[in-house]
Amino acid sequence: MKSFLYLLMGGWLLCSPMLSHASLIQEKKCSECHRLSKDGNEKSGPDLFYAGNKFQASWLKQYLQNPAIIRSARGTGDPDFLKGIQVNSQKHPALSKKDAGQITQELMAITLLNLPEEVDRLEPLTKGQKAKTKYQFERTFSCISCHQSLNLAGKVRGGISGPSLVNAGNRLQARWIANWLKSPNTFSNKSRMPVYKMDDEARLQLTQFIMTLKNENKR
Amino acid sequence: MTKSSPTFILNYCIFLIAVGITGCSEKSAEETRPPLKAESHSPASLEEATPKPVVVTEKTRETYQWYCAQCHGIQGKGDGINARFLTVPPRNHTKAKYLETRTDEQFFEAIKFGGLSVGRAPCMPAWGNTLSDSTIHELVLYIRELCQCEAL
Ligand code: HEC
Ligand code: HEC
Repeated sequence: MKSFLYLLMGGWLLCSPMLSHASLIQEKKCSECHRLSKDGNEKSGPDLFYAGNKFQASWLKQYLQNPAIIRSARGTGDPDFLKGIQVNSQKHPALSKKDAGQITQELMAITLLNLPEEVDRLEPLTKGQKAKTKYQFERTFSCISCHQSLNLAGKVRGGISGPSLVNAGNRLQARWIANWLKSPNTFSNKSRMPVYKMDDEARLQLTQFIMTLKNENKR
Repeated sequence: MTKSSPTFILNYCIFLIAVGITGCSEKSAEETRPPLKAESHSPASLEEATPKPVVVTEKTRETYQWYCAQCHGIQGKGDGINARFLTVPPRNHTKAKYLETRTDEQFFEAIKFGGLSVGRAPCMPAWGNTLSDSTIHELVLYIRELCQCEAL
């Protein structure tokens, strides 16, 4: 039994690229709340083992110094998720500018190879497409029931069980959104979000719509 | 582009629809229970899954907690964490009075194809790509257990 455990541990150390060398992420114990590889159970904070695929570096650097609330009902990995205890004050560890820069680099290097889909350049949405995708976001796919977004007047609207998308256009990579919508299993064995089967055109337009959501459009 | 160009008109119509019928979390749309009927779904899937007797198991309850409780609440009372942000409140699954008026097929369709498919609000998402038909049948039965009621 013991030797089996050692074997497991050894394999785990060998296979997780981030932990095999000293890093600031390791030093700051980010892994107490975040998974840095797909092994093990979900932790209280969101997974970061595909951080380099998911986030925009400029956003990360900003967030790590001055974190803002994204999941006001707590993340799905928090035992208190569903209990209706809203997060009112930000308790995420904040880093100095220098450390935030260093960790951003480290996080951007943690990627999954071979995402199923390349998304190069998305065409900007025409006015009609934007209205159509907004309609789909709110009604066809019910996204707004669980995710906050901005309405036409720039006001925040929507449910809170999923992460807020109000600043998604600054926070996320378009390619990641498109891949998440196509094959959530690449990133999560079991998310709380419904799986969608939409055609590629609809999916890429929805991705583009989500990328238009930005804090600076909030009124 | 002239005002009468067809694409302009089309875009404008889509725009009007999007603005006129607001989404799930616009408080102004409180009264809209859309009468929209989604395209008809083949009833084949309904029949396929019937042979095996449907029973509520621990797994069914877990599934409900995992996906449905976000809106319908841990006890199914319609008070999940998203509830107060939705225009149309999530259905209270413990209230027999209304649930008696709905058939199991209507529940099945609502869960599989979403609220719009049974003339209910779009805030209720479609779970047909997430859950198997047999799991959905179990969930219907579980809701009947929660409300202690049957279709009249
Ligand atoms: C005490 C637990 C805890 C620790 C320690 C912690 N985090 Fe977090 N982190 C969280 C939680 C919870 C969230 C989700 C916050 C939210 O969504 O509002 C989060 C969110 C994040 C996000 C945004 C992720 C997303 O998907 O939106 C990043 C990036 C992040 N943390 C990086 C780090 C780094 C880097 C460290 C180490 C310096 C760290 N965290 C340490 C709990 C923690
Ligand atoms: C994003 C929020 C949300 C989630 C998640 C959700 N529902 Fe709903 N559900 C609603 C809303 C809102 C209504 C009310 C629709 C109406 O009355 O127009 C509803 C209504 C229903 C109804 C009643 C339909 C009718 O005939 O009136 C059933 C049955 C139902 N949901 C089952 C489920 C099940 C099972 C799950 C989990 C697989 C689930 N719901 C997940 C929001 C949600």
